[in-house]
Amino acid sequence: MQILEAQTLKKSYPVKGQAVLAVRDVSLNIAAGEVLAFLGLNGAGKTTTIKMIAGLILPDAGWVRIAGRNPHQDAKALRSLGAVLEGNRNLYWRLTAAENLEYFGVLRGLSRRVARQRGQTLLERFELTEKRTTVVQALSRGMQQKLAIAVSLIHDPQLLLLDEPTLGLDVEATQTVKTLVREIAAEGRAILLTTHQLDIAEELSDRVAIINQGKIVAEEPTAELIRQFSGTAYTVELEAELDGDRLQKIEAIGAVVQAHTVIVRDPALLYHVLDILKPLPLVKVEKDRANLTDIFLTLTQAYPQT
Amino acid sequence: MTELFLAELRRSWIQLLRYSTEAIAGIVIITVVFYGLFLSTQYIAGPNLQFGERLDSVIVGYVLWTLAVFIMTDIAGNLQREAQTGTLEQLFISPYSATQVFLTRAIASLTIQLTLLASILGLIMLLTGSRLSFPLAVLPAFITVLLGAYGLAFVMGSLSLLLKQVQQLLGIFQFALLFLLAVPSESWTGSLKLLGLLLPMAPGAGLLRQVMAQGQPLEPIPLLLAMVNGALYLTFGLVIFRLAERETKRRGKLGGY
Repeated sequence: MQILEAQTLKKSYPVKGQAVLAVRDVSLNIAAGEVLAFLGLNGAGKTTTIKMIAGLILPDAGWVRIAGRNPHQDAKALRSLGAVLEGNRNLYWRLTAAENLEYFGVLRGLSRRVARQRGQTLLERFELTEKRTTVVQALSRGMQQKLAIAVSLIHDPQLLLLDEPTLGLDVEATQTVKTLVREIAAEGRAILLTTHQLDIAEELSDRVAIINQGKIVAEEPTAELIRQFSGTAYTVELEAELDGDRLQKIEAIGAVVQAHTVIVRDPALLYHVLDILKPLPLVKVEKDRANLTDIFLTLTQAYPQT
Repeated sequence: MTELFLAELRRSWIQLLRYSTEAIAGIVIITVVFYGLFLSTQYIAGPNLQFGERLDSVIVGYVLWTLAVFIMTDIAGNLQREAQTGTLEQLFISPYSATQVFLTRAIASLTIQLTLLASILGLIMLLTGSRLSFPLAVLPAFITVLLGAYGLAFVMGSLSLLLKQVQQLLGIFQFALLFLLAVPSESWTGSLKLLGLLLPMAPGAGLLRQVMAQGQPLEPIPLLLAMVNGALYLTFGLVIFRLAERETKRRGKLGGY
């Protein structure tokens, strides 16, 4: 079931008297339980797209549906939306954790009683119960971010927009947020995740959409995109350097030796190479696998900034 | 809406009480400014000056002006503060419309402002020896002033949405407000009387002066006219705010303060 449908969104801004297209025909769909990593360089159009989805920026053309409702025309659509926006605190610093949850719960349309109950559950789940009466400004950055995510879930939304949720967090807090994102998606929520930390995007996402200069330049399941950009070569890492006889044999069949490493470009030769190496101790045998960072750079550099 | 109003009420009061020094400082400053003006006037005019009924009128005008400034800057200031603290966009992704959120918020913060104002009024009366009367008839006249003030507050909020930095404009506007609330439009005649009826808040402020300072009864026709004046300005403010919200979203400048 598609929770988010955004079709051919377009937005231009006037710059020095001329209209500059910030977003060009961007279409995105996210199903229940799916995490879409929405990646792009600064100024590529990510934030404008997210804000058009959230109803905060009016698109010049195109439409958005959240759980079947258009947030620009029907305020009920916003009941299905939770958001943690980048560069924002998203919380009242002078209120405690519990007070923030209660206030935002009511603001999202819950009764005070339900907002309190759900707030209590979320505090327990996010391991913030001990901090329930602490004002937000006295919480650590990691706890503030956890609380911002908890607040975005207070009204049980079907779609969650997470804009740079791990920005500025230490390793431990980043791990916690990653685990939470996985759990939240597993509950059946659709998640739109933007991040500049591409290893996190690779780990968490089911699909990746890359935006460059306002246009989507790639949209694929994460595993498929990585497969497409991965090579067929194998790398065999040895514990010690090769002796002269084995070195000669291996180079003769066309593999390349670099110190402790043998690179086999033709996969058909792998077992032949392994036979030659037998019984030398191996550290690892690895197939060439592209990572999201390489793919991202390849795709964004293929469409240089104009 | 009731749930939202109560939530706003709790939010405002919790923040006020948790950081009460700011509120106390506000009360002291406003009272001291008035007392300073009072003492300077007395010094210039000599010790024999008796303000009498005029002092009461001035106090009504000053306190009303303070309240109107509070209200007027409430929505615009709120928008700027929310943008600075990074919560503004969260307010706009609520199933409640921004107009509903900010109107509810403004009414909730009115309870705070009225409490602060009562303290200021009490202190001023204590310092100057003024004895104002507070008959129930004050309430309808007071409401007409509030309606007009909220209308203007939404207009200032709209300017804040569109232009972002409006502190200077708000500063200038405070003096325009002083004119609107202090001008004795109730004593105007002819075409000026008509102008007095059209000015925001002026008819209500005139009624308040008559009732509180001059002890006159509340006349139904002037009250009705003041009510219509207030309602029209409020409607105008709400409509403008909706249009400004739409235009800001079209420009993509909602959070860009």
